[in-house]
Amino acid sequence: MSIQRVAGSAAVALVVGAGVFAWVSSGTLLSLLTQAIIYAVFALGVGVLLRQNGMVSFGHALFFGCAGYAVGLLLQAQWSAELAMLATLAGMAVVAFVMGLVIVRVPGVAFGMLTLAIGQMFFLTASRSRGLTGGADGMNIDWPSTLFGVSQSVLLKPANLFLLCWCTLVGVMVLLGLLLNSRFGRITEAVRDNEERARFIGIRTLLPRAAVYALSAVITGLAGLLSALNTGFVSPENLHWSLSGVALMMVVVGGYKALWGPALGAVVYFMAKDFLGDYATHWMAIFGVALITVIVFSPTGLAGLLERVVKGKAAVRVHKAHGH
Amino acid sequence: MSDYVLQAEDVAIHYGGVKAVDGVALTLTQGQIRGLIGPNGAGKSTVIDAITGRRRLTRGKVMLRGEDVSALGVVERRQRGLSRSFQRTSIFGEMAVRQQVELAAWKMGVSEPGADADDVLQELELASMAHTIANDLGYGEQRRLDLALALVGRPSVLLLDEPMAGLSVQESLDLAQHLKALTTRRQVSVLLVEHDMDVVFGISDVVTVFELGRVIASGTPAEVRSDPRVREAYLGSAA
Repeated sequence: MSIQRVAGSAAVALVVGAGVFAWVSSGTLLSLLTQAIIYAVFALGVGVLLRQNGMVSFGHALFFGCAGYAVGLLLQAQWSAELAMLATLAGMAVVAFVMGLVIVRVPGVAFGMLTLAIGQMFFLTASRSRGLTGGADGMNIDWPSTLFGVSQSVLLKPANLFLLCWCTLVGVMVLLGLLLNSRFGRITEAVRDNEERARFIGIRTLLPRAAVYALSAVITGLAGLLSALNTGFVSPENLHWSLSGVALMMVVVGGYKALWGPALGAVVYFMAKDFLGDYATHWMAIFGVALITVIVFSPTGLAGLLERVVKGKAAVRVHKAHGH
Repeated sequence: MSDYVLQAEDVAIHYGGVKAVDGVALTLTQGQIRGLIGPNGAGKSTVIDAITGRRRLTRGKVMLRGEDVSALGVVERRQRGLSRSFQRTSIFGEMAVRQQVELAAWKMGVSEPGADADDVLQELELASMAHTIANDLGYGEQRRLDLALALVGRPSVLLLDEPMAGLSVQESLDLAQHLKALTTRRQVSVLLVEHDMDVVFGISDVVTVFELGRVIASGTPAEVRSDPRVREAYLGSAA
């Protein structure tokens, strides 16, 4: 993907976001969209790990929940909110990189189980550390009255919060697009495709894999921060493996090969949840059928399906043009 | 300093009581092609693994341009000019052809990786497929891409593990011609493990014969072909 294409896509996305900001007045719909966008960032984090490292994590809620807890605790310790957020993300990058140096060596399913175990370990710790985290009741996050110079009352208006989350999503996608289009992206793709051959062309394979793990953790942590801002609350549920599973479902439904696939999956998931939830209590069963359908008929997800349709139409146009 | 680009001395790889390779000595001078032949299980691929650092030596040492590289890892040896291809095609399946060759050239510190990649692709007749995703290539083209990845970055020694495996007779002959031309042009020394005797005897300067992890004969193709031990152990009386 060229820089021009990334910039063009970002400009279109920002216009779409501005359009939603200007035209959607329903607080409920904006709230739903905000939640979907936050989970889109989360799914991007899980997706980048799968896309660049070929690894499936069942424990990424660890970073989603820990971001909320970390910023909440730092705010309790009288840190400024801006510094607390930056420190949370920086700390997460360092911890995840060191963790990555150890766990990305573990192949396949074992890696997934390891992430699951680590995530659940933190879930149980947060659930039982009542004095520090509020235990199972969770923890309120005391955001200050202004954040990055904007008053809380303005920032937390549904339309403004939606716009903030949308711009964050677009920003993350642009940065990822540029990063993955760089040498770093090529190296990680090479390592993912064929680790042994990568070593035999002179690539030290552990560092890039750990770096991708850290990158995916930071993106997921960013989603956790947005969620903490949106709800002003964090609980052990934010660390639970089922949340990691939901993010993974979004990635599978949307498709991980296209950068925007996981984000599409998150939006589809929330739309389905809202629409189907009105008609069926066990809407997840219906979504499960949709998930199976996607896996069987379009393993590259909805993004892959859309790309094929667009390419097919383009090919038909070219064919017709030559025919005439 | 010795004249040898590569020198393997008393190389041994043992797995418990099993001696996969035992006391092997091999040399390569600049631009030389040494064919390595022997029955399946003779230890030919294991020798390549030992020289490139994929397997730890039980005994012996590997010298590259006079430097002992025995304690170095795969990446360090590659950076010093020791390159290889694999018995099974080993490429980056989801990357475009030029992209991966250029990446390999860049990792080798080539000042103009794009130009070096184009050069190699041209030499191996892959230039027209530069933007094709590797998985979409035919088998013969994938074998040449494997060779391109090993060849880019101007290595001084190339260890090729059955590069003709699975190719048709014509494809094998074409690749052999490319190999001979490239070796001369790039002044790279080649250790060639191959079962196609026409190719080995056709392009090698010297041939070494393995049996049960040991060298049983070594010399020019004509000398080896006429060696009674080799005829008995490997080539058969018709050779």
